[in-house]
Amino acid sequence: MQQNAKSQHTSRKRKEGLLENFFVKGEYFDYVLLFVVFFLVCFGLVMVYSTSSYKAYLEFKDAAYYFKRQLLFCGIGFIGMILISKVNYLKWKKFSGLIYLMMLMLQIVVLFVGSESHGAKRWIQIGPIGFQPSEFAKIGMILFMAHLISKKANVIKKFSELIKIYVVGLIIVGLIAIENLSTAVVVMAIIIIMTFITSPKYKQFFVLGSLAVLIIVLFITTVGYRGERIDAWLDPENHEKGYQTMQSLYAIGSGGIFGKGLGQSMQKLGFIPESHNDMIFSVVCEELGLFGAVCVIVMFIILIWRCVIIADNAKDLYGSLIVIGIMTHIAVQVIINLAVVTNTMPNTGVPLPFISYGGSSMVFILIEMGVVLSVSRQIKLK
Amino acid sequence: MFKSKTFMKRKLMLVFMVFFLFLIFLIGRLVYLTIIQSDFYQNEALELHQRERAIKAPRGIIYDRNGVIIASNKPVCTISVIYSQVTDKEKVIEVLTKELELDEVEVRKKVEKVSSREKIKSNVDKVVADRIREYELDGVMVDEDYKRYYPYGDLASKVIGFTGADNQGIIGLEVFYDSYLSGTDGTINTLTDAKGVEIKNAQETVDEPVEGLNLTISIDLNIQKYAQQAAEKVYTKKEAKRVSVIAMNPKNGEIYAMVNVPEFDLNEPFTLTEEYDTTGLSSEEINDLRNQMWRNWCINDTYEPGSTFKTVTATAALEERVVTLEDGFQCPGFRIVEDRRIKCHKVVGHGSESFKQGFMNSCNPVFMDVGARVGVENMYKNYEKLGLFQKTGVDLPGEANSIMHNKQNVGPVELATMSFGQSIQITPLQLIVAVSAMVNGGNLVTPHFGMYITNSDNEIIETLEYPIESGVISKETSDTMKVLLESVVAEGGGSKAIVEGYRIGGKTATSEKLPRSSNKYISSFIGVAPADDPVIAVLVLIDEPTGIYYGGTIAAPVAQEIFENILPYLGIPMEYEEKVD
Repeated sequence: MQQNAKSQHTSRKRKEGLLENFFVKGEYFDYVLLFVVFFLVCFGLVMVYSTSSYKAYLEFKDAAYYFKRQLLFCGIGFIGMILISKVNYLKWKKFSGLIYLMMLMLQIVVLFVGSESHGAKRWIQIGPIGFQPSEFAKIGMILFMAHLISKKANVIKKFSELIKIYVVGLIIVGLIAIENLSTAVVVMAIIIIMTFITSPKYKQFFVLGSLAVLIIVLFITTVGYRGERIDAWLDPENHEKGYQTMQSLYAIGSGGIFGKGLGQSMQKLGFIPESHNDMIFSVVCEELGLFGAVCVIVMFIILIWRCVIIADNAKDLYGSLIVIGIMTHIAVQVIINLAVVTNTMPNTGVPLPFISYGGSSMVFILIEMGVVLSVSRQIKLK
Repeated sequence: MFKSKTFMKRKLMLVFMVFFLFLIFLIGRLVYLTIIQSDFYQNEALELHQRERAIKAPRGIIYDRNGVIIASNKPVCTISVIYSQVTDKEKVIEVLTKELELDEVEVRKKVEKVSSREKIKSNVDKVVADRIREYELDGVMVDEDYKRYYPYGDLASKVIGFTGADNQGIIGLEVFYDSYLSGTDGTINTLTDAKGVEIKNAQETVDEPVEGLNLTISIDLNIQKYAQQAAEKVYTKKEAKRVSVIAMNPKNGEIYAMVNVPEFDLNEPFTLTEEYDTTGLSSEEINDLRNQMWRNWCINDTYEPGSTFKTVTATAALEERVVTLEDGFQCPGFRIVEDRRIKCHKVVGHGSESFKQGFMNSCNPVFMDVGARVGVENMYKNYEKLGLFQKTGVDLPGEANSIMHNKQNVGPVELATMSFGQSIQITPLQLIVAVSAMVNGGNLVTPHFGMYITNSDNEIIETLEYPIESGVISKETSDTMKVLLESVVAEGGGSKAIVEGYRIGGKTATSEKLPRSSNKYISSFIGVAPADDPVIAVLVLIDEPTGIYYGGTIAAPVAQEIFENILPYLGIPMEYEEKVD
């Protein structure tokens, strides 16, 4: 750590320009990770086509409507990923303040000019492009927090310092939570995990963790429409809000071990609302069965494991924390999504990374993978 | 170079393990859903996706005893509209209005109704349905179906019965044998999306319908026709309220004919016949009238049998050996029983007569005396033996039972009136069964229609059996009763039933309906032929005839007409060429 601090010190002394060493060519590149991402994205495209073609045909007379859009976003995302992976991630430090301001601004703006979708203001519409500030907030918070926490690494064990970090984060998280609780939970989880790994302490986190759980439970049970979700979760068959969940369970259950075969889902034919979005995994289960579902989960485990390896071997704490944040982001979303689809937790709208339909989500997740790859490039091989 | 501290590495691993365990737990949850709960959700989902269309099973055919079709099925179609599949709404409305001859407003309402399937009209003729099919309109469904069809219209209508809209029996044999006739509907299962639109190329599964079984009944259409014609003739001539005829084989209880004029058209069972005036009636009252129209009086209603019941008294007396044919009686035209003066139909009296003459004359005082000799206890014992306390067990729904005095309430007056068939009520069918026992050697038969059940390949699946209680009365009594009955026709009040060349036995009756002052009568005649070994028993009942109302005068000729036609038809040889005086 001292060494690291020294090198940072010297680099600052040299007054290195922003564009100087902007791109790096490292000794290492994590091809396994790239392959897993590539696989998941392609698999996702197939599933988006499978799930959306019926709806797309009915709506637009073009079965490939959603598929084409998703393909476009994947293309943008991939280019972004490759470019970002070549960038010297240390350069992002210089943007930390700017990123924070942007997050703050966008979250406030979206509250006023956001366009509604499914009863919540989450989108900023600029011309034909809809954009979810909360998606930006995830990567933004990761980059910002990685910088902040790496600077505070030596003092983080002091409870007051930890709280300071949280206060900075919670300003944004609170703003996100107004319209999008599930994303707020994901972002909060990212911050907690990042601080937890950096701090040598345990006890503080247990106290804070229990406190957070308590707050979330209180929040859920007191806010009307979220209380309903709990009822629907406990008894989806008889609750009017349990429709989506029941349809998802029908899909999973009727898939069996090997599924009905790709494209053979019945539940996607209007029974599961928006089956190409958050509920896409239930159609994966229906068409490819338990076997296909486990394969997908294994791919995610490999992906998370590669992140662990990269985080552990990163050149510096900053890079390590970025990877930890991104890893947490993906892991938490995958877990929440699968838990919702299998009715293991109350319904909340979290997309399945790489697979669910959605432009903002796809582009940002690929950019995040680009950042992880850029960290991996600078790993020094012994 | 950054080297992560050991505690960081440990915590990183801890976080990974937490994520990993979460995912393993979710895999476990998936295993539970896809393996253990799979069947449950699979079935639920299939139920959700499948739309069942019923394929109606053709109902079994009813044949008469000679294999003539009495009830069969005619293909008809049901026209319905599937809202989501209709492309040219106006065309659909126009075509359906025109072809089905329906009100346009009505059709429009149904076509425009947002429902998965709206029935426009059922029981559409196949020709019309085929024409509609040729328009090839999207969203218009033509489903073939069967409608019950009765080729003989009103023949034996109250016996055969008819079926309702969903092909189940409503009255008559159609009800009684419904479980054989109805068969099992099949289904076509098609897959649909959430909006109910059928999925093209999806595999249809078909559960084939099981055809109903066929029923052969004991009715002989020719006998039924003869009997019905004769009944209709007297119904018109005597402006009667109703006329019933039963023709039965007394040896085994097979019913050859059962007529209840006025009959109704089985193909239009809900249309009231002209006898019923419906002006100003509520739909409930009209419904009551329909139920009236459908009644089978031979079975569903009781009446006071009057003199035909003297056969029962005679049988009881002979069984109890309290009288012989030669026993002498006196008829002054009445009998005083306790404080009551009970008249004979012949006011001046029959004078001195034997029991046989009393039977031929249908003399009330003779039977009052004979009844008194038998006594209440033995009278009731013989009623019991002749099956008068129980339903006959005929294979039709809604059979009525007799109405008798309680034994302990029967005093001399009641016994006297019962002896000539008053103050008790029985069904016509109970009477013919009792008389059958008297002439068949003493066996109580179960009257019935159903003979056997066959499948579509005409193989007999089940032969329907009916109990015969043998020896309820002695052979001697039976032989004597045959003599008595023949004497009534040959020499007594039943002479109008004489058929040249045949030996006919019978007994007439004229019962005054209650209240006695109403001057309404039921004229009846029970006849058997040939008298020495009857193979057919015929009961004729004329309810409320106008003008002359004596059973011997108006009912006996109906039986005569029937006998005249059916005895040669049954192949019974003539016993003599000329009428013997």
